[in-house]
Amino acid sequence: MLSKLKTTALASLLMTGTAMANPYADYEGTTLVVNFPAHPHYNAVMQILPEFTKETGIEVEVDQLPYLKMRERQTLELGQDEGEYDLIAYVVFSKADYVYADQLENLAKYFMNPKLSDPAYDSDDLIDGYVYNIGFAGGNKGYLEGKTGSLFGIPYGSETSVLGYRKDIFEKHGLDVPETYDDLLELACQIPELEPGMGGVASRAASGHHASHAFLLHLAPLGGRIFDDAWNPTMNSAEGVAAAEALKKIVDCGPEGATNFGFGEALGAFLSGDTAMFLDTTVVSGQTLDPKRAAPEVLGNVGWALHPMGTRRGSQTGGFGIGIPANAENKEAAFLLMQWLTSKQGDKLVALAGGNPSRFSTHEDAEVNAKFPHMATFGEALKHADPDWRPIIPVWGKINADLGTTLSKVLTEDLDIQEALDGVAERTRAVMEEAGYYTWQ
Amino acid sequence: MLTSRLNRLSPYMFMAPAAVIMAIALIYPLGYMIWGSFRDWDPSQTIGEAEFVGLKNYITLWGDPNFHESLGVTLRFAFICVIVEMIIGVGLALLLDRDIRGMSLLRTMFILPMMIAPVVVGLMWRYMYHPTVGTFNRTLEWLGLPDVDWLGQHALMSVIIADIWQWTPFIFILSLAALQSLPRSALEAARIDGATAWQQILYIKLPLMMPVLIVTALLRLIDAFKVLEVILVLTEGGPGLSTEILALRISRTATEFRELGVAAAMSNYLLILLMLLTVAMIGFTKWQEARAAKLRMANEEDS
Amino acid sequence: MSAPTQKNSPAFFAVIVLLVIMSVGPVILMFVNSFKLDVDIISGTSGLIFMPTIQNYETALCDVLWYEPEPLDFCALKFGGAFKNSLIIALISTALTLVIGSMAAYALVRFRFMGRDTVSATTLMVRMVPPAVLLVPVFGLWNNEFCLDRDGLIGGAIRDMFGGRGDVCLAGTHTGIIVIYVAMNLPFVIWILQSFIVQVPRSLEEAARVDGAGPFQVFFKVVLPLIKPGLAAAAIFTFRIAWNEYLLASALSDRNTKTVPILIVNNMSEFNVEWGVIMATGMLLAIPPIIFTLFASRQIITGMTAGAVKG
Repeated sequence: MLSKLKTTALASLLMTGTAMANPYADYEGTTLVVNFPAHPHYNAVMQILPEFTKETGIEVEVDQLPYLKMRERQTLELGQDEGEYDLIAYVVFSKADYVYADQLENLAKYFMNPKLSDPAYDSDDLIDGYVYNIGFAGGNKGYLEGKTGSLFGIPYGSETSVLGYRKDIFEKHGLDVPETYDDLLELACQIPELEPGMGGVASRAASGHHASHAFLLHLAPLGGRIFDDAWNPTMNSAEGVAAAEALKKIVDCGPEGATNFGFGEALGAFLSGDTAMFLDTTVVSGQTLDPKRAAPEVLGNVGWALHPMGTRRGSQTGGFGIGIPANAENKEAAFLLMQWLTSKQGDKLVALAGGNPSRFSTHEDAEVNAKFPHMATFGEALKHADPDWRPIIPVWGKINADLGTTLSKVLTEDLDIQEALDGVAERTRAVMEEAGYYTWQ
Repeated sequence: MLTSRLNRLSPYMFMAPAAVIMAIALIYPLGYMIWGSFRDWDPSQTIGEAEFVGLKNYITLWGDPNFHESLGVTLRFAFICVIVEMIIGVGLALLLDRDIRGMSLLRTMFILPMMIAPVVVGLMWRYMYHPTVGTFNRTLEWLGLPDVDWLGQHALMSVIIADIWQWTPFIFILSLAALQSLPRSALEAARIDGATAWQQILYIKLPLMMPVLIVTALLRLIDAFKVLEVILVLTEGGPGLSTEILALRISRTATEFRELGVAAAMSNYLLILLMLLTVAMIGFTKWQEARAAKLRMANEEDS
Repeated sequence: MSAPTQKNSPAFFAVIVLLVIMSVGPVILMFVNSFKLDVDIISGTSGLIFMPTIQNYETALCDVLWYEPEPLDFCALKFGGAFKNSLIIALISTALTLVIGSMAAYALVRFRFMGRDTVSATTLMVRMVPPAVLLVPVFGLWNNEFCLDRDGLIGGAIRDMFGGRGDVCLAGTHTGIIVIYVAMNLPFVIWILQSFIVQVPRSLEEAARVDGAGPFQVFFKVVLPLIKPGLAAAAIFTFRIAWNEYLLASALSDRNTKTVPILIVNNMSEFNVEWGVIMATGMLLAIPPIIFTLFASRQIITGMTAGAVKG
């Protein structure tokens, strides 16, 4: 304790001596309270935060919550006059709510401030799709890239969907890695025949968010959309039905109990060798290399490929962004943390700790690729990431819940797919009507 | 003079802390909820900012198929649980109502499930139900039987089984207590008359236990409507809405769909349902007492 | 009581053994699994042959250990802090409930006063209110209405003393959770204590009063010691609910006042189904109730029968 006091005293002495050279000096000793999700990327962030504190003297206290919980907490905190959090990580679809309610700081004034903004930041190196998907608001459709948009957050923990497959199983039976959806679906049901007891693809399917997510994952590559350009619901189109059929086929040929899989269970099934493929976010790659999580036959036997193509390429864009709440106490110090985390140095550190980098340069970095050989594939996948694979509007939560519940019924109770989706579309139209999306029609 | 006023005040002084706490933290919130149920209320608003919409929330719910399904699940869950628990609990009480060495130890072990946190019960059963690593499917596999998709195809049943595991002991203990306080004379007389064990149970024990059994069942029924954590941890209400009981739907509506007004209206429906049950229970006890008093009076007049 | 001629057959003992396995089995399973590595839990090897490890407990308790556990990258769980919160909340709310509840029960049994019947009926009715019904109003009230302005006298003083931001609200404090637990448990405690107070002989109270004791002295010195068994039973039930409750605590607590059930549910989040650690935290949460059950099963049974049968 005493020695720690001494070093801080010493450090502060040194700092005052070099105040001009150190942009962090004014904020030294500040404690930032940040809200991060319990998520592999942010677990990696937890490991690099001590480095930030050492470098800057700014302490960081992290409130880590499961991400649905995190959302609830943030709704409450951001709504108050003065909030607890200085920096928050948010899921993509929270962006709409927060920006609409004026609860996130516009980042322009921080990047314009010469005392705060690091000239070496190189924002061009950030992956475009993610900046627009997670950080931008006010552009086309209100949530996409566009001339009227501006920046409210920075992507941190960018995920896209990739196909993980068991190299040993594929080799054993001389199978090709599926390139298209037809290949994928055929293979999904072929595996249980070739390897009795093994499922084809591990997918989430549990009622609610999980089922909806799995459906959307197939919707974009198969050419579908939730809404057309005039906000008419189109999830019940032929493409929508095809996506639901794909999901049903995957779940039917999946491992036991697949209808109730959340993300954790789906990943668990793949990691314990119950399935030959896994089609979901990139975030799991680290765990397939972790002997504590992966079964011995899976460990090191996982190959990665691009999300198979339907009528087009369209892998998901997801993950988290970080932003500064409008009611935060230490906004400037929070910006410094944000900038540090998403800088080239921070991005590389977090990638080496097992996180998901958000910069082109990190995906190409030799050191990172040496440690995680799949990084190059992931970088490729990110180029096909579709920022509009799901709508980011304030009423989406409600539609998402309805879609997820209905799809779960399709999977477990054998509802007619077209009929079920028609029902969703009808209810969605009512929700959109009420929210005022048809005012201009 | 002073002491008499003090004496007159003392019941209020004894009552005051409890009355204040219950008024602030139970009665006022319930009123607040009823008020809020007439509003279109978002968690980021205070109740004053929320728009008054009259009975809209109640009407929406009344026509909402998801709410109907959830209500159906709740009723099915509560009644199946209570009926099965009553049968097993009373059956075990009748079976174990004899002198066994170590009975108190046995009772201790039986009440263990009741004392453990519902959250922990949920996670224990979630592990045991797990499709591949879970205890049940491993056992089935070992026996060469086909696996069961516990939390998928048979979610409601699985949830009910977990509840039965936790709460049957409650009924068992209460029935056993009731059995052991039965008048010995009646049983003695029946045995002398040559009644078989079955006849004793059917014609003497069960009718005499009936008042206690009914109160126990009603108490348990009211509690069954409060269950939430076990299901939350086990299935989160899925698949579909197959295990989404009302308590869970209220909490999801409030936190996930962010519609506090609708959640409040739903809470009110649940409250009305429980109120009816409680009134039935109180009415039954009152009737019971009145009948007992009348019988006693009649007996006294006879003698 | 049954026919003495009836021999306890082997089948009967088999039934008993089966019952014991069914009621204790899951708990033992959890206990055993909490000493296994995830790999051992997931892989198909049989249940009993494994290397026991305390690694799961180390992971759970990393914030209170005096050394840094080997395989951990950082301390995520902070179980120690949550355990402390749970203890503070459960113990204080139990003590308050007992004192306040026994006073109210005494008033209801021994005095006739205006509003007695209303109070008694209300107590009975609110017993059935499920926590889920309280969720919405309590969330709204505790966060928005039951607040002290931070520029006000007391609110300002609290902010000066304890720091923090915004208005001083009940939500996010131990007090806030304790208040709702006391209110929730009061009806039940009042209910079962009444049946114990009725049995206290009036003559003892009168004798004390003749000796010059005031009503409060009579209550605390004469009545309370006589209803100790009732208090013990009520205490166990109140503690159990306060210790195990999840829903309201999760709506009211913030990062510093999280209780153990919240931590467990949070830790079952989708990205980390780490069975070993989950089982270890579950076991730690279950230990106090298990101890109660082992050492006070008599009181628990008394409480249950008093609460139901005598009602």
